[in-house]
Amino acid sequence: MSENDERRVLHADFFTENPEPRLIAGKSKSSGNWTFPPYLADPVSFLDDVEHTQLPRNGILHSFTIVRRSLPDFTVPFGLGLIDFPDQKIRVMAQVEADDLEKDLKLGIEVETIVGVVRKAKDGSDIYSYKFRPVK
Amino acid sequence: MANLRDVYIIGVGQTPCGKFPTQAAHMLGREASWAAIKDSGIHARDIEIGFCGHVYQGMGVGQRTLKDIGLVGQPVINVEGACGSGTLSFWEAWRTIAYGQHDVALAWGVENLSKIMSGGPLPLEEDDIEVALGMSMPGLYAMRAKKYMDEYGVSSETLAKVVVKSRKHAAQNPIAQFRKETTIEQVLNDPLIADPLTRSMCCPVGDASAAAVLVDGDTLKKIKRDTSREPIKVLGCIAQSGGYASPTGLTCDPSENVTRTSQMAYEQAGLGPKDMDVVEIHDAFAIAELIVAEALGFAKKGEGARLVEEERSNYDGEIAINASGGLLSRGHPVGATGLLQTVEIVNQLRGEATGYQVPDAKIGLIETMGGAQPAMDGITCVVSILGK
Repeated sequence: MSENDERRVLHADFFTENPEPRLIAGKSKSSGNWTFPPYLADPVSFLDDVEHTQLPRNGILHSFTIVRRSLPDFTVPFGLGLIDFPDQKIRVMAQVEADDLEKDLKLGIEVETIVGVVRKAKDGSDIYSYKFRPVK
Repeated sequence: MANLRDVYIIGVGQTPCGKFPTQAAHMLGREASWAAIKDSGIHARDIEIGFCGHVYQGMGVGQRTLKDIGLVGQPVINVEGACGSGTLSFWEAWRTIAYGQHDVALAWGVENLSKIMSGGPLPLEEDDIEVALGMSMPGLYAMRAKKYMDEYGVSSETLAKVVVKSRKHAAQNPIAQFRKETTIEQVLNDPLIADPLTRSMCCPVGDASAAAVLVDGDTLKKIKRDTSREPIKVLGCIAQSGGYASPTGLTCDPSENVTRTSQMAYEQAGLGPKDMDVVEIHDAFAIAELIVAEALGFAKKGEGARLVEEERSNYDGEIAINASGGLLSRGHPVGATGLLQTVEIVNQLRGEATGYQVPDAKIGLIETMGGAQPAMDGITCVVSILGK
């Protein structure tokens, strides 16, 4: 974790890197319903019996775009995608990296969770968080 | 549910849409509000309560607006519901009268975006986890477009045709921000903002205000006013916050929210999609006109594109959609948009939309969709149905 100590991380509670990058979701003990990120109370059972549980590392790219004009602090172009975890009925929006955004990103491909730079801080330093990339 | 009182719109007003960086929001607001009060034929002091929709205009913008037209003391509620703020303020005015709390209310929306930005995506809430990761409204709608186009075999040319129709309509609308016609080639050759959306497939940054005066049926009969103006009846008015989006739905599908809200509005009005003559849809991006037309019941799922392809949604077609030019061309000054849509429908029902009048328009519908939230189908949706 020594290199991580130097990083500025966004949404640090929503993912882990050990032993591999995975998102942390909430799962209700009573209803079995999943949410990402974990909610305070489960929207199906309305009970606060939510356990924090890891999602699988790999998901399916439901849709995506290549953002070419964005809000300040983001380096364009970048891939933005909706990633499905079908067994958990979870859809996550996140940046999607690729060697070649135009060639490598396709609807329905398998993508894996990674951790990487998502934006710049006001002082120009990199901010890290969870992202995805196509499984090679 | 209580027996609701009948509610009528007796006056409307609006400013042009455009970039007015020297006009503070309350200056635009007072112009539209005063125009609506004059149009209603009542005395300004008859206004009992005001609801001001806005998103970015700061503390007390509603009170700032009314101070400049002599209206102080009465309650003013500033209303925020993302891009649905204007119609949410209209819904507030409608319900306070429908439920018998007040007899005369003013609803208006204001926004001056050009004072805070020159262009680019709308600034969003940084505390939103997806916004912090790079979500923008063009990015979100681009993902919706990409999935829709893949599922239903729709091309970028069809999205461009939405813009061409929008500009053609707006060319006749004196308050529209973009009044110059365009071509499919021009739209497709515009720079990409987020694939597949080009710049002109996205609504512009702009400023405006629009307002409406509402009264109950008894007050309409007894209040002293210039009766030359035709009252327009509110047949249905429903506001809904976003629900959890279906994980199997289309890309954070706003149509789930629009479907739910419009079905409640149709039921309240005792009418259905086939009864509508003129419709204002919240087309912040070209794809939205197709998806929302389906959600409102004007086309089957996946067939919204055919309305545009076959020119059936032109102002003189079978269902006139966005005769004003919509958000793409009339403009989208966010907090004002819902009232601009409402004023447009009132003008159409009164037969006063010179140059782009929908023939024999008797019933109109307004759909406004605000914002996005992770795992939800939007922040605010309001659907109103008006008739004469």
